[in-house]
Amino acid sequence: MRGFLTILLKDLKAFFGSPVFYMVAFLCTLVLSWVFPIQLAQFSEMAKNMMFQPGVPQQQLNIHYGLFLRQLSYLNLMLILIVPALSMRLLSEEKKMHTFDLLLTSPVTSLQIVLGKYVASLGAVFGIVLLAYLYCAWTGFFATFSWPLLTIAFMGLFMVGAVYAAMDLFCSSLTESALGSFVMAVIMNISIWFVGIGAEVSDSQTIREFFEHISLNAHLSSFVEGTVRTSAIVFLLSVVGLFVFLAERVVESNRWR
Amino acid sequence: MIEVRNLTKDYGSRRAIDSLNFSVNKGEVVGFLGPNGAGKSTTMKIITGFMAPSGGQALVAGFDVFEEPLEVKRRIGYLPENPPVYGEMFVKEYLEFVANLKGVEKSRISKLVQQSIEKTNLGQVQNRLIQNLSKGFRQRVGIAQALVSDPDVLILDEPTVGLDPKQVAEIRDLIKELRGQHTIILSTHILPEVEATCERIIIINQGKIVAQESLSNIGAMAKGARQVTFRIRRNSDELIGRLLALSGVINVVKGATPNTVIAEFNGQDEVIENLSSEVVRAGAGLLEMHSQAQLEDVFIKLTYGSVDQ
Repeated sequence: MRGFLTILLKDLKAFFGSPVFYMVAFLCTLVLSWVFPIQLAQFSEMAKNMMFQPGVPQQQLNIHYGLFLRQLSYLNLMLILIVPALSMRLLSEEKKMHTFDLLLTSPVTSLQIVLGKYVASLGAVFGIVLLAYLYCAWTGFFATFSWPLLTIAFMGLFMVGAVYAAMDLFCSSLTESALGSFVMAVIMNISIWFVGIGAEVSDSQTIREFFEHISLNAHLSSFVEGTVRTSAIVFLLSVVGLFVFLAERVVESNRWR
Repeated sequence: MIEVRNLTKDYGSRRAIDSLNFSVNKGEVVGFLGPNGAGKSTTMKIITGFMAPSGGQALVAGFDVFEEPLEVKRRIGYLPENPPVYGEMFVKEYLEFVANLKGVEKSRISKLVQQSIEKTNLGQVQNRLIQNLSKGFRQRVGIAQALVSDPDVLILDEPTVGLDPKQVAEIRDLIKELRGQHTIILSTHILPEVEATCERIIIINQGKIVAQESLSNIGAMAKGARQVTFRIRRNSDELIGRLLALSGVINVVKGATPNTVIAEFNGQDEVIENLSSEVVRAGAGLLEMHSQAQLEDVFIKLTYGSVDQ
């Protein structure tokens, strides 16, 4: 437990003490500060004139769909690129700088090392998600909407971020090169969105259900609608568990390779 | 304290170390010598639990490094070839991190950190970022890191690499100071370092132990001709003749500069004694004499010599 906490604190400090995190956060706010007010203005314009726009789907007149969902999809797009940038150094840098030797010769288990680093990277992901959440939250000053719904939707995206973080940590464990780990991680983050596509080309009912169940999209959309489904949580946590386990195996393999 | 039995490690088809057997007693300082690529670092990495052996066993304080790695790691301070330091951390912060990582009791951390800073003379840089330190200081932070948990066993892989001569001397003094409190294995290919600090040496070549002796016995292993060089004020053929007449002396030649004489001889230290008193008796004005270090002799014969055989 202590080993885990020591590594967690060290890596949290490394995240929040390094200019990289603040650069990333700054660039995120730059993009969101440009996009969000424009979206907000468009939405309010549409809401004002809704009588004159019979063709607009009903959903778009709901602030959760018309505004917050868009914010979520921009955030998701950014997370696909940001999480690899934040976590690419987690293990590859340790190997490159030979500090891995220190970790592996200290009385800590591989699981403690990996979990410490994983939870630290969750902290960084949480920071970015919180930033994007603040934009929506501030809308509360002049609009009425359901707070639990908004929060659950962001929680859903945070869990998707947690999946990215686990996959990217695994990528980082595979190589000494931070750049290599970054590229691998981005590709993995993107490809996980296309796993569900298998459902469309399959004739078999079972296979279709299988692909639908492992589709990240399906699970995220339940969160976006404000429903917390156990199946979604179990699915996301299992993906996290799988990749944390794989990363732990890679670290452990250094001991016997 | 440390016991190694039939330790073997293969990297693919290449055998890095082959059935090593040795033991190190509590409080002993043992030099681990060998040319580059002999398997020194591999052995150290196995003893520290960094990697597992392909065969055989290594025990530290009675715990098997493979079966109970955490117990072993609690008792070991390890300085790898490259000091495992985080550039973005401050020296003191880093040492506190390592102490926590090693599971040192909370109440002892600040005292132990202070001690290791003092022992390695890092006081003046303790509040600086490690990435801004020179190589020598980083190396010292690496040594401090190995000491900070006050481990029973210290494993130092080439601890004086990158240090200036004064720092090298300091580290040697430090190692001498630590003798008795810790069991130390020192891997190096710098021979004077071993002579200055170790009680016993293990010479390893091509993955096999070729010698395991206490430093005082190593002289006996120096077989064959040895050399001693004299720097004198007045050189003469007469002197060379007188030296050649001594028993045990094989050859005497003039050196590179007119004032040096090199004598080659067979036998032990008494021949050197006779040579030196003869030079003095001849009134040649002895300024300096030195012989090739015995350890160096033995080392070269055992490692490079064995290649020719």
